[in-house]
Amino acid sequence: MSPTPADSDTGREPLPAPAPVAADESPGGTPTKTWIGRIVPFIPALIPAAIIAAIAWTLLNASGFYNFGWGFWLPASATNQYGVLVEIVGSFLTAVPALFLSMVLGLGIAIASTVYLPRFITRFLDPFVDLLAGIPSVVYGIWAFVVIAPIFGTIINPWAVAHLSFIPGFAPSTIPPSPTTAGTGLPLAIMVLTLMALPITTLLIRDALRSIPRDLWESGLALGATRWEVMRRVGLRHGSRGILSAAFLGFGRAIGETVAVAMVIGLDGRFPVNVYDVTDTMAAYMFESLDAAFSHPILLKNLAELALVLLAITFVVNLVGRRLVSHIYAEEVPGI
Amino acid sequence: MTATPILASAAPPDGAPVIQVQKLSVLAKKRKQEKKILDGVQLDFAPRSLTAVIGASGCGKTTFVRTLNRMVELTPGLRVSGQVLYLGQNIYDRSINPVLVRRRIGMVFQRPTVFPMSVFENAAFGLRLLHEPDDEIDSAVQEALTRSGLWDEVKDDLDRSAFGLSGGQQQRLCIARALAVRPRVLLMDEPTSALDPMATQRVEATMRRLKEEIVLILVTHNVGQAARVSDRVAFLHQGHLIETGPTAEILERPRETLTQQFVSGHFA
Repeated sequence: MSPTPADSDTGREPLPAPAPVAADESPGGTPTKTWIGRIVPFIPALIPAAIIAAIAWTLLNASGFYNFGWGFWLPASATNQYGVLVEIVGSFLTAVPALFLSMVLGLGIAIASTVYLPRFITRFLDPFVDLLAGIPSVVYGIWAFVVIAPIFGTIINPWAVAHLSFIPGFAPSTIPPSPTTAGTGLPLAIMVLTLMALPITTLLIRDALRSIPRDLWESGLALGATRWEVMRRVGLRHGSRGILSAAFLGFGRAIGETVAVAMVIGLDGRFPVNVYDVTDTMAAYMFESLDAAFSHPILLKNLAELALVLLAITFVVNLVGRRLVSHIYAEEVPGI
Repeated sequence: MTATPILASAAPPDGAPVIQVQKLSVLAKKRKQEKKILDGVQLDFAPRSLTAVIGASGCGKTTFVRTLNRMVELTPGLRVSGQVLYLGQNIYDRSINPVLVRRRIGMVFQRPTVFPMSVFENAAFGLRLLHEPDDEIDSAVQEALTRSGLWDEVKDDLDRSAFGLSGGQQQRLCIARALAVRPRVLLMDEPTSALDPMATQRVEATMRRLKEEIVLILVTHNVGQAARVSDRVAFLHQGHLIETGPTAEILERPRETLTQQFVSGHFA
C-alpha cells in the first residue's frame, strides 16, 4: 500500500536493545565487524552485471572495431567486405511488425480470457498459451518452411501482388526467393516471430489484467460502464505496467530469435524493396556465416561486432523499458 | 445496445418509496447444494432517507445491497427471485439493461476504489461514459466533489493522481464519482470499514448531508454508526429480515430478541 508509517518500529514489543550493537546499522541484522563481511553480500549481487560487462568487453576486443570502427556496417569497402547494415535493418523490419501483431493478438486473447469467457472455458484454454511458449524454435522454423512457405508462395503472395500492388511496397517482388524456397522472406519471418513472441506477450498481459482488483472492476461496472468500457478506461491503465513489460520482453524475443528466422528469411544480403522480398537479420546472419567465418578472420571480427550491436540493442531496449515501466509504476499505481 | 424501455426518471410522488423490495430471495448453488442467502426480504426505501442495513457477518447484508443495482449478477451461481421496484419499475424485468440500472443506483465499496487517473478524471468517469460535453462535466464534477465534501481539499490540484489522496479522501472521491451521474439512490457497502476514526467521521458527515437529497442505503456491522447517521434500521439475520423501523426504536426498544441481542452486543 501507500507509504506506511514506521510500523516496523511499533509493531513489535520493544526489546531492551544493547546499546553498543544498536549503533551498528548492518542490514543483515547481525552486526558485521570486518570489511570482508561488508563486501561479501555484494559479490553475488554483482555477478549479473559482471557477466554482461565481461561479454561486452571481450566481444569488443574480438571484434573488428579497432580495425574499421563504426564503418563495419557500411556496404563493402576497401577495409571491410562484409557490410551488415542490411542485417540490422532486416532485424527491425521483422521484429517490429511481429511485436505489433503479437501485442494486438496477445491483448485480444488476454482480454477475452479475463473478461468475457466463462471460467470453465478459460481454465481449459489458458494452458495452451503456456504450451505455445514451450515449443522449440526449430519446430516453428521447420513447420513454417515446409508447410507455410508454399502457402505464402502459391496463394498469399500472388494474391497480394494481384490485388494490392497499387500500394507502395506491395509491387511484385524485386528480390524473389529461388523457386525451391518460394514463399520465404519477410512475411513468413514476421509470421513466425509473431507466433514466437505471442506466448510471452499473452502471458504477461493476462497476468497484468488478472491483477486488477475485483472491487476496482466492480466500481467501474457500478457506475454503469460496460465490461469493455471498464477494461478500456480502467483495466488497461491499471495493467499498463505489465502490458509495457510484455512489449519489451516480446521485442527482445523477436529481435534475438535465430534458428527459425534463418530458415524462413531467405538469407539474402540485399535491402528489401517490397514486402515479399527475402532479406536477412542480424541473428540469422551470424548463424549462417559461422562456417565461412572460420576461414575468414575479418568476417569473424565482423560477426563479433555485430553480436555486440545486438547486445547493445537489447540492452538499451531493456533499459528504456525498465525506466518506462518504473515511471508508470510510480505515477499511476503506487503499491498495487 | 439501447435497452427500451429506459428506466423511469421522473420524481416519485411525495412520500412514495423510491425502492420497493418484494419477496426478494437469493439462492446460491454450489455443487448441487442450494443455500438461501436471502429469504423473502420485504422492504421499502423512502426518498431523502438513510437506511442502515445491519447484521452480523454472513447475514446477507452485502448480497442484499448488491441485489438493488443488479451487481449480484456478477457473482456466478447466484439466482435472484422476487422483485426490486425502482420508481415502480422492476429492475429485474427482462427488458431492463443492468447497465442502465447502475447509472441510476450508484454504489460505494468497502475499500476506496479510485481509478488510476487524476482526481478530476475519477470524478468525471461516469459522465465520460455518457459522453457529456466538457463544460457540463466541469460543473458536474465540482458539484459532485462539493456534495461529497472533498472540493475544498482538492480544488487546487484536480489533475494530480488520485492515489496521492489519503484513504478517507479517496473514499469521498469514490462517493463523488458515484454522485456525479446524479443517481437517486446511493448504496454504500461498509464504506468506512477501511478508514480511521477521523476519516470515518468525515464520511459520516457526508452521509448526513446527502440523505437530505437522495436515498442512501448503508450496510454496516457497526451499530454505533447506524445510530449516528441513519433514520431507519433494517436488521438482517441469516438471510431473513428480522425487524425494521426508525433507528431509535430499533436500537433502543427492539421487538425481537435477536435484534435485542445484536444491538446490545450479546450476539452468539
